[in-house]
Amino acid sequence: MTNVAVLLRKDLTVLRRSPLLLVALLSYPIVIALLVGLVAGYANAKPRVAWVDEEGLPPVVAVGGHRFHIQTVIDQVSQQVTLVKLSSREAARELSNGKVVATITVPNGFLAELGTTTSSPQLVLRTTSGGLSQRVTEQVQSLVYQLNRKLQAGFIAANLREVQLLEHGGKFGSYDVLGLDEMDGTLATLPQNERVARLRQFVRIARLALAQTGNALHATANPISLAQPKHKGRTWVLSAQVQSYGIALTVTFLALLLAAGATAAERDEGTIGRLRRGLVSLGELVASKIALAAVVGVSLAAGIAVLFGIVVDVGGVQGGQPWPRLPLLLIGVALAAAVIGAAGALLGALARESRAASLLAVLIVLPVVFLGLVPRGALSAAYWVSRFLPFSHAVAWFSAALYDTSPWRTLGIETLWLLGIGAVLWLLARRAVRTLSA
Amino acid sequence: MTPLLRAVGVTRRYGDVEALAPTDVELGEGETVALVGPNGAGKSTLLAILAGALEATGGRVEGDRRVGWVPQRPAHYARLTARENLVLFAQLERVGSERVDALLERFDLPADRPSGELSIGNRQRLNVALSLLAEPRVLLLDEPTASLDPVQRRRVWEVVGDVHGAGGAVCFATQNVEEVVHANRVIALQHGRVVGDTVEAAFG
Repeated sequence: MTNVAVLLRKDLTVLRRSPLLLVALLSYPIVIALLVGLVAGYANAKPRVAWVDEEGLPPVVAVGGHRFHIQTVIDQVSQQVTLVKLSSREAARELSNGKVVATITVPNGFLAELGTTTSSPQLVLRTTSGGLSQRVTEQVQSLVYQLNRKLQAGFIAANLREVQLLEHGGKFGSYDVLGLDEMDGTLATLPQNERVARLRQFVRIARLALAQTGNALHATANPISLAQPKHKGRTWVLSAQVQSYGIALTVTFLALLLAAGATAAERDEGTIGRLRRGLVSLGELVASKIALAAVVGVSLAAGIAVLFGIVVDVGGVQGGQPWPRLPLLLIGVALAAAVIGAAGALLGALARESRAASLLAVLIVLPVVFLGLVPRGALSAAYWVSRFLPFSHAVAWFSAALYDTSPWRTLGIETLWLLGIGAVLWLLARRAVRTLSA
Repeated sequence: MTPLLRAVGVTRRYGDVEALAPTDVELGEGETVALVGPNGAGKSTLLAILAGALEATGGRVEGDRRVGWVPQRPAHYARLTARENLVLFAQLERVGSERVDALLERFDLPADRPSGELSIGNRQRLNVALSLLAEPRVLLLDEPTASLDPVQRRRVWEVVGDVHGAGGAVCFATQNVEEVVHANRVIALQHGRVVGDTVEAAFG
């Protein structure tokens, strides 16, 4: 048995004999993963947007001869945001203190301008300059788009009523409109000659053309429409992204804490001096802590992946757990846990005492994980910092291994990143462990 | 007298503090050396450097690498039993399991209790047993009797006598002047420097 294997077996035995520590180590990262998941889920919840009605919109508005119940329309279209009715002053105050993320103002004269149909009235959107502003702007654009669709339907219906009046006749204000139907009948009673025949031909062509007007108006208003059939896909909580983040977060916590604690414990127990007397090289000592992180990380990740897969399968979710990809996932977990284990060995050697090492590991792991969760568009500096830390590469590795149709290019790139980061951490850890017995 | 272990100009610094000034020490066959001096004199530092447990800032250590080291504070894994500790270090020392059984018997250790639950005396005996796994020719002990009762102290001196009797070399640090009688050479340290090196005919 190699020295690394001897030390690994010792560390696993020590871990097994510390049941409280073991339970805490295994459950803590899972709890944190769930909490992060909840926070991420909350981030997807509808943001509060103030609705400032300076115009004093009536409950029912007639636009283009079509009647709209304003609140019903707003309720229908505001699925992306929670609209809160506020005065302009309250809205400004809540926008400045962050209680609402945006304000939408209906300015004075809005309805009058809408009724003219000669110019487009404006809704005024104000957002803060925070990370949510882009998202809220997109959602309000979506809201305005959907309002326009509703209005288009009203305008089209009003126009079609006028077209029907031309076709079939009827009252238009004080006028009695003849209509093409009656005109054709009247022409049929007249002595038939070339002029009457031409007029009747015009009436037939006009009726055919007007019959197509409805479709033409709808097609012009919506050149491309989006169909949204119901699909039994994964819910957010079962998404591939959440699984990748969950496993990466759990493995990061576990590997960093374990390797840091186990490395510092060699000094706490006074055994580092005994080991360094030519029995174990510095490289072997660091390698044993990396192996510990990898073995425990793979075991825990396998458990999580299998549990997740069973839930997905039992739930009959389409695109369920890709069981054949599980071994590939575990290779990635072993690699990521080893790299994070090297970081843990470095922390343990620097902290020199297991309690300090554990505290340091917890203090470091949270920002590392949260940096990896920041989207590139939100804060590019955070994104670039996270590129030089293992967490984001672990997430990309796991996600590609589990769900990409052709994962090999991504796996290759992320493996190189992880190996590069791991090599640097290995060298630093080896150097730091040298000072551990001093 | 054939030298078994030799330190040549070894030094140790902690930042600006010089824990051990350049020191030359030679341990020969049949020698039992007592390292004496007050706290902070550099006794533990010198022993740890000779054992290879601590890297010297300067100088070098030459000679037989079969060195047994008994650190001042017991150095073993508290969650492992006495047997498991001995087996672990036996595997690293490439020593057979029969040696583990022999040491457990010789030191009368409770083999299957976690070493963290042992009495201070038993822990120190395990500490000594671990140092004898590879049947060292040189034995280095750092205040080995500090926490032991008279019976256990006698056992430690028996071990010292065994190594000495087999032609090995022993070096032990002590603050107890009475223990110097077990040595045939005394090295006095003060402020990290050797201030005396006396050969006596006290042993045997």
